[in-house]
Amino acid sequence: MKISTREKEDVLIFDIEGEIRRSDISDVTLHQLVKDQLDSGKRNILLNFQNVEFIDSFGVGEILASYISTHNLGGKLKIAKISKKLYLVFQVTMLTKVFEIFDDEELALDSFFKG
Amino acid sequence: MAKNRLHSYLSHLVEIRHGEEIISLLLFFYFFLITAPFNIIKNIRDAEFLKKLNPQYLPYAYATAILVAIIVAFHSKIQVKIRRYRLISFSLFFFILTSLIFWLFLPKEVVGSRKWLLITYWMWANMFIVVLVTQFWILVNDVFNPREVKRLIGFFGSGGILGGIFGGLITVILAKRNVSSNNLLLVAAGFLLVCAFVVNFIFFLQRKGKILRGEETQEYISKRKEPQRFGFKDCFDTVRKDYYLKLLAAVVIVTGIVSIFIDWQSKSIVYEVNPFGGNLKVFFGLLNTGLLVFAFLLQLFMTSKIIQRYGIRFALLLYPAILLLLSLGIAVWPILAFAVAIKASDKSLSFSINQSARELLYIPVSPVIKYKAKIFIDMFLNRFADSLGALVLVIVFIFKLKIQFQIVSLVSVLFILGWVILNLKASREYTNTVKQKLEMKWERVDRAVAEKMDIDYTKLVFDTLESKNRSSILYAMHLFDLIKKDKLTPELRKLIAYKSDEMKASSLGALFESQDTTLFPETEDVIDDKALEKDVKEIMSLDVYQELMKGYFDKTITDKGKEAVTARMELAKAIGLMESHSPLVEKLEELLQDESPEVSKYAIESAANLRRKEYVPALVSKLQNPLTREDAVSALEKFGQKIVGTLSDYMGDTEENIELRKAVTSILGYIGSQDAADFLCWELAEDRGDMDSELIDALDKICSEKPLVQFPGDVIKSKIIKEIKKHYQILIQFDELGSESQDEPRRKALTGNLTISLMNIFKLLGIVYPREDIAKAYQNIRTGTKNSVAYAVELLDNILHKEMRDILLPVLEDISLAERVQRCQSLLKSSPIFKESA
Repeated sequence: MKISTREKEDVLIFDIEGEIRRSDISDVTLHQLVKDQLDSGKRNILLNFQNVEFIDSFGVGEILASYISTHNLGGKLKIAKISKKLYLVFQVTMLTKVFEIFDDEELALDSFFKG
Repeated sequence: MAKNRLHSYLSHLVEIRHGEEIISLLLFFYFFLITAPFNIIKNIRDAEFLKKLNPQYLPYAYATAILVAIIVAFHSKIQVKIRRYRLISFSLFFFILTSLIFWLFLPKEVVGSRKWLLITYWMWANMFIVVLVTQFWILVNDVFNPREVKRLIGFFGSGGILGGIFGGLITVILAKRNVSSNNLLLVAAGFLLVCAFVVNFIFFLQRKGKILRGEETQEYISKRKEPQRFGFKDCFDTVRKDYYLKLLAAVVIVTGIVSIFIDWQSKSIVYEVNPFGGNLKVFFGLLNTGLLVFAFLLQLFMTSKIIQRYGIRFALLLYPAILLLLSLGIAVWPILAFAVAIKASDKSLSFSINQSARELLYIPVSPVIKYKAKIFIDMFLNRFADSLGALVLVIVFIFKLKIQFQIVSLVSVLFILGWVILNLKASREYTNTVKQKLEMKWERVDRAVAEKMDIDYTKLVFDTLESKNRSSILYAMHLFDLIKKDKLTPELRKLIAYKSDEMKASSLGALFESQDTTLFPETEDVIDDKALEKDVKEIMSLDVYQELMKGYFDKTITDKGKEAVTARMELAKAIGLMESHSPLVEKLEELLQDESPEVSKYAIESAANLRRKEYVPALVSKLQNPLTREDAVSALEKFGQKIVGTLSDYMGDTEENIELRKAVTSILGYIGSQDAADFLCWELAEDRGDMDSELIDALDKICSEKPLVQFPGDVIKSKIIKEIKKHYQILIQFDELGSESQDEPRRKALTGNLTISLMNIFKLLGIVYPREDIAKAYQNIRTGTKNSVAYAVELLDNILHKEMRDILLPVLEDISLAERVQRCQSLLKSSPIFKESA
């Protein structure tokens, strides 16, 4: 897994690449990276999964943990460009009821500043 | 009027039904007119043989049976070209003519080579009886079905025996007046002439369609319009290829051999003693008459009763058992009394019980096969057996032993033992053959449906389609269920191909829209992924998931607005996907009590998936409501064995709602464990009567699906007796209502009760007797033709125990309602089985 960050209109975008799975745990996890950014004062986070090839339940757990951490600090965490499979998983687990999921980055960015 | 009087007379002698009087009487006389001349011919034959030759020649005479067999085979070849009517008429005229020839040529003194004429006469006499009697029984089997023959066989047999007695008496009277053997033959020819007229009349009635009985016979007769052509080889092959017919053939061979031994033993002793001052025609006349009187009484008063009361097996074993004892007697003490006793037993039992039982054995064989088999067995094999017996005797004589009587008796004993074994096998095969005549018309409805369709799958497909327009989450969850069960086939994908309206509405709409309009072709690789199930399970087990979703769950559950119903349905469904120990699962109890039946339905399904015992009371309470009952039944069924005890408490609690108790009973039937069966039987034994049909149906279901489960026979049998008694009482009430009554609702109710009670009786019988046989019998009784009903009753007659048979068959037999009610009333008063059960 490779994660790079960029910032656009006060939204910190995490561009994730490769596979997010339990067996590939590195020193820094997605949740840790999100927490670091939250610690540095960022509150609007967009996870971009465009280049994610695979994500297992551990990976989903990282997303959920990141969401809770962000939410607890009054921030917003949204998701963009997830695969169809992951979307199906989010639907079956009802996570779509909690998460805001977009298939377009611009729409996602706009949503941070609407309402 | 005259017919009624005839019926009244005959019904004193035989259990005869209206419409059967004339044909039965004609067949009675037909048989009479065959056996009367035969007994004259036979008495002449035996007396002349012993007077003019000696017992050492007897084996040669017996051996002529093989020539008879060859002639019979030739006859069977000729008969293929002749219709039944012509065949029988021709045979009768042949024997009239040949009687006249013997009248001319039978030797007064035997000198030198004229011995052959006596042996020819012996052979001719044998041919006479085998051909004419076989033709008689073929005609009987054509006209009546098995149950009818079983009732009437004693009457027909009596005609034959009475004819024999009459022929014997005529021989005695005329022989005492020194009428010569040759002239006695003229009397025999006279009987045959009368017989030809009777046969003509039978066929005249048949042509007029006045005596055809049973569909099978109708079919046979209609087929016979084109003459059937069965050669000897065809007949032989028919027997050779059929195990049952081979058994019957083997029985005939052994019976024939034993009979030859007995004949030789008795005649040899008579020859030595030379009774009646050498007037052997009078001796044989009296002997044959006496034994036929005995046989007649046996036939008239005992045969039907013995067969009906003790069954065909007992009837088949009685004859060899008695001969076995007497053969041992002769081996020890070869005197005239034993000679007379063994001959009398042989002939009387052979004519009466054995003949009737043997004819019964042919009943389940289809008419065409039976006809061919009888040609081979009765016409050829019978004779062959006599020759074989003669050959064995000749072999015994070769050793020139001093103790010939003893040796012949002991060899006879060995053959009789073999005969007993063959009879046992034949009677077992008889029941199997009757079974084959009955076809299974249907299976248990639930089993048939389950075999033909996967109910859970069908339900899931319907739910999936229904959810499509309601909620994308419910839809996805249903798809997930289909994937989990590996049921998302290409056909199903086509069926539920999804133009993603819901997706469009969601924030991901564009993602799918940008590719293809259908979800499945594009996502095939995705949704076939077996890891999906694992991922979903694992995600829902995550603490972070449980923590994250708790707020949403709490908020949704408390929102009781109508618009929130779909959201609560989603929750109820989602909980079913979680591990049973997950914290969010606690929310299910609340959802089970949800006022919306739709939410409740999903909650019930999830409860079934999680199988936590604390859900059971809530699920059981759902059984009271017709809207949720079906779902609750299938949910509780999935809990299986672990809730059997709890369910049985509900079942036995008479204060509970009756619909709930009935549903619980049915669930125990679905669970089908040994414990479930025990509790059901326990409840059945309580005899509360408020849910007998449900209890019996549940037990029937277990019996049909769980062959290893044991049932307490005494409880079931006791209930069968009570159900039969109940059936009697309904029948009596139905009769009391009368055909004129205007009370149509009551008539309908009683008819319905009769149907249910009969079904219950048979379901219970299926638990303690071979289930498939009982089911076949029931189905054929309910929906079969007259003949298949008869076969069904016959099958029951053979497989039920006597006490059960005695009380059940009267309600199944093809008799009028009045007669049936009369029998029921009589049995209710007199049958000890009802008194015991009371």
